[in-house]
Amino acid sequence: MPSDPRYLCVVREVTAKMWQLHGLGEEMVEQIRLAVDEACANVIKYAYRGDTEKRIVVRYKVSRGRFEVVIEDSGIKADARVIAGRKLEDVRPGGLGIHFIARCFDVFEFDGRKKNGNRLRLIKYLKERNEDRDSRT
Amino acid sequence: MKIEIAEHKGVKVFGLSGDIDMYSSPALRKELMSLVREKVPMIFIDFRNVSYIDSSGIATLVEGLKGMMDHGGKLKLLGIPERIAGIFSFSKLDKVFDICVGLDDAFEG
Repeated sequence: MPSDPRYLCVVREVTAKMWQLHGLGEEMVEQIRLAVDEACANVIKYAYRGDTEKRIVVRYKVSRGRFEVVIEDSGIKADARVIAGRKLEDVRPGGLGIHFIARCFDVFEFDGRKKNGNRLRLIKYLKERNEDRDSRT
Repeated sequence: MKIEIAEHKGVKVFGLSGDIDMYSSPALRKELMSLVREKVPMIFIDFRNVSYIDSSGIATLVEGLKGMMDHGGKLKLLGIPERIAGIFSFSKLDKVFDICVGLDDAFEG
């Protein structure tokens, strides 16, 4: 997608549809949709510093037991050591996006092997599916 | 997102509809902070037709609330749909904002 905030609605819809198409729980749709939106918004804001002419690549990998979203950019490297949301009790504008991502994905990590730009991996383990599978074996 | 500003019993009511996200929240911020700077005593924001809100939208509301509190004004949120109510509770903002069911409730509080 272009790094233009007007396209965030497209990513939200695709994310929700990917989740729904694979018969995954409705109750998580809103949280997953918001988390991926926030991750892409962070790319626009921090990696591209608001440049709307760049590209963001969003890939989905759905396999048994996990839903994975990979978000790549060619912008400024994120420093994972300093990424932190504000304390939820510290009410002020900003600093919530990271919390929205971290609350629903089990894995939230930058792939250090990517030389230029960033590759963010978000993984949600589908516990109910694992339990179903385990009960059948 | 669409913003319709009306006046009800002397109170400015922001009627919002659609998605409030990184793309649309600057327009909301512009309208809201313009009114905050006028130091109006009370603003209601009607969420009944809002389908989505992200952290930039939340940040705009927090900024508006703080601006209102600076001059002793009140900012009330009305009719937050269940699908987005979780964002307010997760971020503990349901304890900070005055959240009302509807207009009648807002005027009574």
